Amino acid sequence: MDLKQTASSLSAIEIKALKALNREEFISMKEISGKAGMQMDSARRAVQWLKEKGMIELSEERQEELALTQTGKSSLGKRLPERLFVEALQALGGKASLEQVQKKSQLNRPELNAAMGIAKRNAWISVRPGKGLELELTGLEKQLEEGKYPLENVLEEIAKKVEITGEDKNALQEAMKRGLVEKVLETEQKARLNKEGKEALKLVGAVKERAYNVEGAVPKIFIGKRQPYVQFLEQLRKKLVNLGFKEMKERLIVQEFYNFDVLFQPQNHPARAWTDTYQLKQPRFGKLPLRKAVAAVKAAHENGAGTGSKGWRYSWDEKIASRLMPNAHGTTADARQMAEGIEIPGKYFVINRCYRPDVIDAKHLVEFNQFDGFIVGKGINFRHLLSILEKIAVEVGGAEEVKFFPDYYPFTEPSVQLSAKHPKLGWIELAGGGVFRPEVVKPLGIDVGAIAWGMGIDRLAMLKLGVKDIRYLFAKDLNWLRNSKMVVE
Amino acid sequence: MPNVNVSLKDMQKLIGRKLSLAEFSEAVLYAKGEVDAVSGDEITVDVKDTNRPDLWSAEGIARELRARLGIEKGIPKYRVKKGRLSCTIEKSVEKTRPFIACALVKNVKVTEDFLIQMIQLQEKVGMTFGRRRKETGIGLYDFGKMKGPVFYRGCRDNEIEFVPLEYKVKMRPSEILKEHPKGKEFGHLLEGCERFPIVIDSKGIVASMPPIINSQETGKVTEKTREIFLEVTGFNWETVNTALNVMVMALADRGGQIESVKINFPKTKTYPKKPVHTPHFENKKIEVGLDEIREVSGLDLSSREIAKLLEKARYKATVKGRKVVAEYPAYRMDILHPVDVIEDVIISYGFEKVKPEPIKIAVMGQERPEAKKAELIRNVCVGLGLQGILTYTMSNKGKQAAMIGLDLEKEQFVELANPVSENYTVFRKQLFPELLEFLAANKHFAYPQKIYEVGKTVELDSKSETGVNEKNKVCIALCGKGAEFTVIKGVLDAIADNLGGKYSLKQCPMPALEQGKSASLSMDGKAGFFGEIEKSVLENFGLKQPTAILELEI
Repeated sequence: MDLKQTASSLSAIEIKALKALNREEFISMKEISGKAGMQMDSARRAVQWLKEKGMIELSEERQEELALTQTGKSSLGKRLPERLFVEALQALGGKASLEQVQKKSQLNRPELNAAMGIAKRNAWISVRPGKGLELELTGLEKQLEEGKYPLENVLEEIAKKVEITGEDKNALQEAMKRGLVEKVLETEQKARLNKEGKEALKLVGAVKERAYNVEGAVPKIFIGKRQPYVQFLEQLRKKLVNLGFKEMKERLIVQEFYNFDVLFQPQNHPARAWTDTYQLKQPRFGKLPLRKAVAAVKAAHENGAGTGSKGWRYSWDEKIASRLMPNAHGTTADARQMAEGIEIPGKYFVINRCYRPDVIDAKHLVEFNQFDGFIVGKGINFRHLLSILEKIAVEVGGAEEVKFFPDYYPFTEPSVQLSAKHPKLGWIELAGGGVFRPEVVKPLGIDVGAIAWGMGIDRLAMLKLGVKDIRYLFAKDLNWLRNSKMVVE
Repeated sequence: MPNVNVSLKDMQKLIGRKLSLAEFSEAVLYAKGEVDAVSGDEITVDVKDTNRPDLWSAEGIARELRARLGIEKGIPKYRVKKGRLSCTIEKSVEKTRPFIACALVKNVKVTEDFLIQMIQLQEKVGMTFGRRRKETGIGLYDFGKMKGPVFYRGCRDNEIEFVPLEYKVKMRPSEILKEHPKGKEFGHLLEGCERFPIVIDSKGIVASMPPIINSQETGKVTEKTREIFLEVTGFNWETVNTALNVMVMALADRGGQIESVKINFPKTKTYPKKPVHTPHFENKKIEVGLDEIREVSGLDLSSREIAKLLEKARYKATVKGRKVVAEYPAYRMDILHPVDVIEDVIISYGFEKVKPEPIKIAVMGQERPEAKKAELIRNVCVGLGLQGILTYTMSNKGKQAAMIGLDLEKEQFVELANPVSENYTVFRKQLFPELLEFLAANKHFAYPQKIYEVGKTVELDSKSETGVNEKNKVCIALCGKGAEFTVIKGVLDAIADNLGGKYSLKQCPMPALEQGKSASLSMDGKAGFFGEIEKSVLENFGLKQPTAILELEI
């Protein structure tokens, strides 16, 4: 099509946009929409079409910008809980119990806890156990005096789009950690006429008749479809069922009994500590109705339960085992299934949401999915474990080659780590597994070989979906979801 | 789990062989270690075994690798010279922290690497194996500044004062617990005790108040130190000795000469009757059947092969009929069951040499009913032209209560005790606030926006075994011109028609929904609600377009 013809087939919005543009400088969509007197999305569409017709040049500036989150926005201009906390303590004469501070400050419980944590970390207060907790200001809280608390400055600076420098950078880290501030990608598109565009601009005045350009873009249709990660998980589930595995029930809140005790993790073990798993403020304790399993697990911890093991030799506490927590790993489902009863021989799997206290970034989520499974049967041993791991790595993980290394889990011995060579990622740690310890299975009445494994499937999903940022598995970006390709097996 | 920092140069010296970084990375995998980070000569190794304190130092890793690389074999041997120093445990510590085990290490050449490793090992053993110093507290002292014999004594607060490490003034035990950083961190371990445990020499100079803090006077090992006094305190004789052995071996690996210390016990039931010299490197024995090894490993190995493989894993092995007697150093407290020995056999054999064996179990696969149901619902949603989304199951009270017109103080949630971020503090009870938030984040994209999520919500339920009720739900949100009651009711009908459900309706008193343009429903015993979102709720989320939602348990 020559330029004249093209010019004659321009739509009304294209002509408006063309007239708003010039050859000399790039101007933004906002300016175009203002000059041409049309909506932003019309301006965008017109520019897109003109680009396809080769009449304009585009420039895109992409930059990471800091923005306040919902929580950040609602905190803006208000006093942060830690300030209210310290002010309350000041009003109480600098020394008071936690309860008094709560009353005075009117903070709710999570705010109060967070505020106390921050105040402790900044050494504004010292904390002593007494009747409840006794708090005392240290004098360092002076840095909170009006205008001197960096965190509040940072929120204001970000709202005003001022650059963060110097000391405030630490406060920025803190604000991001607390979910007050996040990084967002902002793209600004600008356009200017090229030579053809300038010519066309001269022509449009003269043209009257309009013919369809069959190559022109038409309005987009968004179809209904699954969230890509959900589709990936659905396909994985189907594949495992086809491989003969029975699906186990997914639980989000579990008793420590299943998350730890059945799996022979001693109750005083540091891996059960506060920092490695989430704990619940409410509800705190659950019930353990499988009395036989409880007695067996107690014996396994205390004396090895006649399995030929020494056990951990301490006094096992049912109260600790009945504590509730957000599920921390996929093996919890194995533990529960085995305690409730299984078929022998049997093959089981679960895809379970897991929770770990972490700071969310491109590599970490506080919620993620694990795929776990186990196989029981007479004569099942370590070599079978390697075989099933290899099979999963190839069929689920798309691995070209695998390697096995020694590993450690409290509930398996021997334990193994599988590294897989992936066509795109190179060698990656893909899965861990092992032969269940006798202290785990025998007390539950399973007297045959039992092998188990688990893998975080988020990395695989990222690869399949072609995303580099793990947050896209729970994408908030409708445009990305609408334009994402359907996952192919 | 423990991260151990080592220097490659130092490592080569300890192993006694040149190793490239790549060779070290490969070899350390067999000590269940993984190179996590490298910066110049510094390597961070993640030692995964949380029950092998002997591996948590450069010396310990080198000790293991010397056997794996064939430089040494069998149980590591340490010579202990019988020393003349004694440490007397007095009855006054019996109730607070009854046991102490000690050692003297002479001729040590304290270098920077040495100091780094000692502090690191002391820290790791105390924190992980010692359960945050509760089970074992470890102290190292410059013995040149002490005068034997040593006493382990319980003192009342008004009986004793000393200058704690890195301080200048004398303090009473209670003051240290209140003011010293270590006192604040570990003070709870001595909470409520009448007498504070004190290690003190014959001149009355305080060496430490275990497991809290050493004294500034003697409790500081420097590059000038030639003789090191070590002590480990705790509640279990076996545990404190394990920790002591782990520390002493590391010192001996750097050329130190070990001298024992005679521990005198008070005459009560808690303690052995006769004095004991520590450290003592005992060995323990465990019998492992050949059949058991075959059963677990799937490997067909002769007893002689097994014995050889065990020597490579630092055991001493003798064959006894169809059994192998594996002798191992007492500090291997991780050996609870023959399977622990079997794993070492396989590691020595080499994981790369084990041939995978296909599994021949023919059983039928089966999906969970709720998973099947979820898939069906998703099919209907896709047919309705909706875009699937996925949000987190953790949320916050602002979104799940205040922003949808509920009383933030009154609403009860399944709530985290240790949230990391203010955005994730409770489990969601409803899906639609999460969908509204999603819509709010996408205001700049083309309307109408029609989305759905199938996911779980979690509510408190004291009758349930886990204290909660986890519900599988679907939520649909329509946003943009025409998102009205009649349309969302049409969506409900489509679901009911296609999945064969019948429903009944009632007026819905939910504050988030427009009165008169909403209803609660019950379909096959499952509850739900639908309708137009109330204006102030739309404003709370910053939504400018009319929005209608349907949420239904499935």
